[in-house]
Amino acid sequence: MTDTTIPRGNTLPRIRPWLGIAAAASFVVASVMALFWAPTDAVQGDVYRILYIHVPLAWLSYLAFVIVFLASVGWLWTKNELFDAIAVSSAEIGVLFTGLFLIAGSIWAKPTWGVWWTWEPRLVTTAIMFVMYVGYLLLRGLSTDFSRRATRAAIFGIIAVIDVPIVHLSVLWANSLHQLPTVLRAGGSPALDSSMLLTLMVSLGAYTLIYAYFMTARISIERARQGRLWTT
Amino acid sequence: MDNLGFIVAAFAIVWGALLAYLISLRARGA
Repeated sequence: MTDTTIPRGNTLPRIRPWLGIAAAASFVVASVMALFWAPTDAVQGDVYRILYIHVPLAWLSYLAFVIVFLASVGWLWTKNELFDAIAVSSAEIGVLFTGLFLIAGSIWAKPTWGVWWTWEPRLVTTAIMFVMYVGYLLLRGLSTDFSRRATRAAIFGIIAVIDVPIVHLSVLWANSLHQLPTVLRAGGSPALDSSMLLTLMVSLGAYTLIYAYFMTARISIERARQGRLWTT
Repeated sequence: MDNLGFIVAAFAIVWGALLAYLISLRARGA
């Protein structure tokens, strides 16, 4: 039997079931609001509803990679193995979310832009971000020495986060087919109907809980692996 | 609902992938 316990005193195993229930409940509410409650967009019609999965997954990807950065700094600073477990867990979930918001965005692009993909700044920088963090995960497989592996990955994780603000600001820096920021606008309130904004915020909350649930589970797996393979 | 196929495809892919990842976490011992 696989031992998945993490260090004594850690509260993650205790909160995980409650986190799972909260994530599942909010996910159901967010999905119903996104598909049935939110009004139809005057310009795009109903296909804009993809926004309610595309945007939260994009924001959570940014968060995931910022957490990789912070955990990487934590590892280099303290050499505490927990930080390495947090970094690899967040990177893996960030790659999943990035892949999904790229796919959802592509499906949204076809009926609105007329193409599945176009080489414009937001899409290209996002694709680069996806490839960089896939590379981060692959880099971790190159060494069996725990400390060397964690240090290399941490350095990569610190450098790679540079792409996160580049992705977000790429629509402002260059002519872009992708729309400008609608909610996180500099010096302005969100350019979104209040019921649409509420649905987006509920969806963001639901996907944040899903991210948190996945993190607790994935960190638990990584801590167990560290215990089996590298710690004495 | 217009463009229903695109909406269903996007939501189904995202939901399916999240479920698959959840199952993979369980399979790995979480």
